[in-house]
Amino acid sequence: MAEEATPTELITCTIDGMVLQVPKGTRIIDAAAQLGIDILHYCYHAALSAPAQCRMCLVEVEKAPKLMPACVTTVMDGNVIHTQSEKSLKSREGTLEFYLVNHPLDCPVCDQSGECKLQDYVAVEGRAMGRLAEPKRIIGRDDFGGDVLYEGDRCIMCTRCVRFMREVAQDERLGVVARGHRMAIDTFFEEGMEGNIWADNVVDICPVGALVSKDFLHKARSWDLDRTPSICPNCTQGCNVTLQVRDDEVMRLKPRPNEEVNSYWMCDYGRLNYSWINRGGRIEAPLVREGERLVPTSWSDALVRLSELAKGAAGGVSAVVSPFMSNEDLGAARRVIAALGGGEGVFRVERGEEIVLPGFPQLALREDRAANVHGAELLGFTRAGDDKGKGGLQNAAVHGGVVFVMGDELADAPADFGTGASLFIYVGHVLSPAARNAHFVLPATTFAEMEGSFTNVHHRVQRFWPALHVPAMARPAWQILGVLLAGVRGVDAPATPADAFSLLGELRAEYGELRFSDLGAQGRPLPRLGALAETMGD
Amino acid sequence: MAYPYKHPSETLVLAKYFGDPEARTLAGWEARGGYRALRKALGSQRKEIIDEVKASGLRGRGGAGFPTGVKWSFMPMASGKQHYLLCNADESEPGTFKDRELMRWTPHALIEGCLIGAYAIQASHAYIYIRGEFFEPAQILARAIEEATAGGYLGKDLFGSGFDFEIILHRGSGAYICGEETSLMNSFEGLRATPRLKPPFPAQAGVYGLPTTINNVETLCAVPHILNNGAEWYRQWGTEKSPGTKIFCVSGHVQKPGNYEVPLGFNFREFIYDICGGPLPGRTIKAVIPGGSSVPILRGDELDIGMDYEAMAAAGTMLGCGSVIVMDDTTDIVKQVRRMVDFYAHESCGQCTPCREGTAWGAKILRRIEGGWGTEADLETLLEISDNMAGKTICVLSDACAAPITSSIEKFREDYLALIRRGESLARARTA
Amino acid sequence: MSTDETKVRPLHPEGAPRNPGFAGITGEFDLTEAQIRGTEYVGRRPVDGGHASVAGTLPYQIADRNPDAPLFEGPYAERLEKILTRYPDRQAALLPALHMAQEIRGYLSPQSMDEVAARLELPPAYVRGVATFYTMYNLQPLGKYLIQVCTNISCNLCGADAVLDAFLEHTGNDMGEVSSDGRFTVIEAECLGACGFPTVVQINERFFENVGTQDVPSILEMLK
Repeated sequence: MAEEATPTELITCTIDGMVLQVPKGTRIIDAAAQLGIDILHYCYHAALSAPAQCRMCLVEVEKAPKLMPACVTTVMDGNVIHTQSEKSLKSREGTLEFYLVNHPLDCPVCDQSGECKLQDYVAVEGRAMGRLAEPKRIIGRDDFGGDVLYEGDRCIMCTRCVRFMREVAQDERLGVVARGHRMAIDTFFEEGMEGNIWADNVVDICPVGALVSKDFLHKARSWDLDRTPSICPNCTQGCNVTLQVRDDEVMRLKPRPNEEVNSYWMCDYGRLNYSWINRGGRIEAPLVREGERLVPTSWSDALVRLSELAKGAAGGVSAVVSPFMSNEDLGAARRVIAALGGGEGVFRVERGEEIVLPGFPQLALREDRAANVHGAELLGFTRAGDDKGKGGLQNAAVHGGVVFVMGDELADAPADFGTGASLFIYVGHVLSPAARNAHFVLPATTFAEMEGSFTNVHHRVQRFWPALHVPAMARPAWQILGVLLAGVRGVDAPATPADAFSLLGELRAEYGELRFSDLGAQGRPLPRLGALAETMGD
Repeated sequence: MAYPYKHPSETLVLAKYFGDPEARTLAGWEARGGYRALRKALGSQRKEIIDEVKASGLRGRGGAGFPTGVKWSFMPMASGKQHYLLCNADESEPGTFKDRELMRWTPHALIEGCLIGAYAIQASHAYIYIRGEFFEPAQILARAIEEATAGGYLGKDLFGSGFDFEIILHRGSGAYICGEETSLMNSFEGLRATPRLKPPFPAQAGVYGLPTTINNVETLCAVPHILNNGAEWYRQWGTEKSPGTKIFCVSGHVQKPGNYEVPLGFNFREFIYDICGGPLPGRTIKAVIPGGSSVPILRGDELDIGMDYEAMAAAGTMLGCGSVIVMDDTTDIVKQVRRMVDFYAHESCGQCTPCREGTAWGAKILRRIEGGWGTEADLETLLEISDNMAGKTICVLSDACAAPITSSIEKFREDYLALIRRGESLARARTA
Repeated sequence: MSTDETKVRPLHPEGAPRNPGFAGITGEFDLTEAQIRGTEYVGRRPVDGGHASVAGTLPYQIADRNPDAPLFEGPYAERLEKILTRYPDRQAALLPALHMAQEIRGYLSPQSMDEVAARLELPPAYVRGVATFYTMYNLQPLGKYLIQVCTNISCNLCGADAVLDAFLEHTGNDMGEVSSDGRFTVIEAECLGACGFPTVVQINERFFENVGTQDVPSILEMLK
């Protein structure tokens, strides 16, 4: 870069005895975070305006007459700040006691229990015994519509939800009603939050159990959940999420912050559309056609027999793949198609209206409702079928050469799909009637059961990790196909997802410039997007 | 006899025309010397006006007592932005009723004060935020504004000075917190009246983020007098740091409650016993709140102090807005403190947790003590709640709520203990 | 009345001077009620609000309180237009607009809030938040006369609780309820800002000062 960055003025401050230099204008809470000091807070949220009303983040600044709210006060040169002084501790203890005055303490039945900031803070800094001898005020429960349920008594009035709806969703469905100790959060009477697809984010940012998800209500305790970083599979946005799993079942999706993709947010469509990940009835072993029957066998038997047949394949390939499959899977599929004589590959995807989050317009529920449409396109697959993700199988259905299906369930395929093929390979998850026509049925894992990557709408490559156990003998498709290719062509099969990813560079040079291990938890954009776009028309 | 009560020891500057219906009208006000100061102001430099007000030592009469001239000088004069003058007529501090009388009897004094203040701070609009319950004063002000417009005191290019000016009357809707200047701004903008964080201060970013000055009615009413007669004239009254006269509102157990104007620094005992007629026959004064319900209570024997900002502070209380509430020996202090705390719980805007929860919790404990179910430990809890509230919030409503609690426990602990002991003995009698 | 007497500590014993409360003018002062209230000076304010600088502040509660009456039509539309001219944005007109809606319909129903929101292009939930913040917006239908008795400290010292009880007793109401004939709603109010004249009672837009328990029947009589 030729232009020099303007040097920001650095100022020096001392926080809890540690000296720190920060740019002028840094807030105390952020400066403290740089030192690893977590200043307790409720109303402050990095992606929202700071009203400084929860009064939890008050810290002592030497020479200031009062305790200062760390979430809005900027550090001045020479400030000496104490977050653990007697005064700050006493203030927090007192404020926490106020929080509990009207709080019902119903942690045993509260979904937030275990990940509740009130619980956490009181446990650490609250009074051992409460002094309240008076009856509590009761607000009760209110169905806000959509997936959101309001438990008013638990509410600590931090107004994060109101600010989210005003500033980020820009659809002010929530407001504070009444005032003083009678105040509550409410919608406009019966209007509710129904119809706003960003509504569930208020559940995420609620620091206590006041806003809870109806979908998750009383389903699991937070401490029983295993959390795995992943990517939302439900549109091409590729929101960073954690899959929260108990007993090998996804219980909910929660957004994982990524300023480049989804900030702290995700849409309700993606969030609540997870039951397919838990789907049972999976193919548990490789199946090989013997006459009219599909017979289970071992992987080595299945793949040895398949590679023998594949070597003599003729008539070209007609492939149908799924945009829910990883980059590595799709890359392997592309190589298999080439090895078996070349041919066309299509994918089908459900489409819908694009809905942008106004306060963070990089984020939208995208038209294409599958995570890896752009990965599939970059790797040479083309769109087929209608906006419901149906149809478009006419070529493959009657193809006389090799029919190769990966991930697509073929739910709407004609009953005789692939019956005319010389070789019909089905790599997938469930055995639909059309899939039963295959000569080889090879059980693959879903994204939730494997490690891999997706390419999102902005051509950002993002990794996900396995959250669920692999059902029986299922394997990642890239692994299955890698071994198959090894048998057909005598090349080395990739052993790890990183190996599989590195092979993508041979298909698209842009992938070759990224290393799997460098993608990290936040992903990386593909380089030279412009060049890529030009070649995409080929 | 004139209305309301008057006393020869008063120094009548602002309250001179209380009870004179003629003074309300434009013609009547002009005949009494009205709008002379405005003509004078429009012929002077803005800085001269601000310097004159600074020299007079006039302090804000809304409660905080901040020097008015200094406040005006905070306005960024070269910013090129629109400036606003907001007049705080949201008089709702319990015990205060001076602004109501000022607006009711001398509306043109306020209009003139607004005009001069706005000219000085380069505002072309003044908004008078009057509390919603004040229908009568609002009606009178509305009429006066229409009269002043017709008379050429409002509108475009006043007296050829090139100064355009409008006064807009804005009615509140019932919220004590609107008396706090930043929540007044929010309320004015059509928001919930929650106080704003400071900084930024109104002079930097007030209504709509533009430089704003907020002055109390009484403050603005005093400005024309200062311009007419000069700072030295104004300084003939009061003390060095608290010059001038002030209207004190007296309510509660005195013979002659009402508004009385005296110089600041006036002896508090003489004020209550002479001007206000002292306690009712056969009663003695037990407690006095000198500046509205938000300030610490004084005992009846602590009245030998001056009625100015410094002397009141030295006595451990505040002059506030000069609202003297007198309580005699028949008063149930605990009940009255509970009533005040109930008020703060009702009026807390609710945004800051210590205030939202603390005021209501304090009221509940006080109610329990009042009902005879209190314990001595409750008093310590109350003191600690007060301490946890005070100074921990965005505005000072929680401090205001803590003041009567802590000062009454400190000064009238026996009253609390009597209720607690009576309750305990009743409980023993029930279980015996 | 005997119960009242035990509760009241008479502030002004027999013969002691009193301020001119309009519920009990003592003849001590030579001003008429009209002079004190300035009614002649004010005159009758037009429904369209008069000059733009003051429109929207008055009049108050003079309409028929028809819950289905159209908002913002005729002179009311004119008044709203005047109000809108004096603020830099529409949001600032919210408080006056809600006052108007209440004046026309008697109280703020969800429907009224929605209409105000639509007219000012504001989110309805936000309008609800504002309307519920302020005590002067009535969220329920009220009696024809809203009787607000101040029981805050200054009035309380002088027997406001008894005055409140007397109003409840004489109207036969519970606090906050509409009386069976639909005429009265009695509520407790916070400080009304006329503390020198206790007890202060606000009935619709009008203040009654120096109200004692003995004045309650005659006040209610006036309202018939």
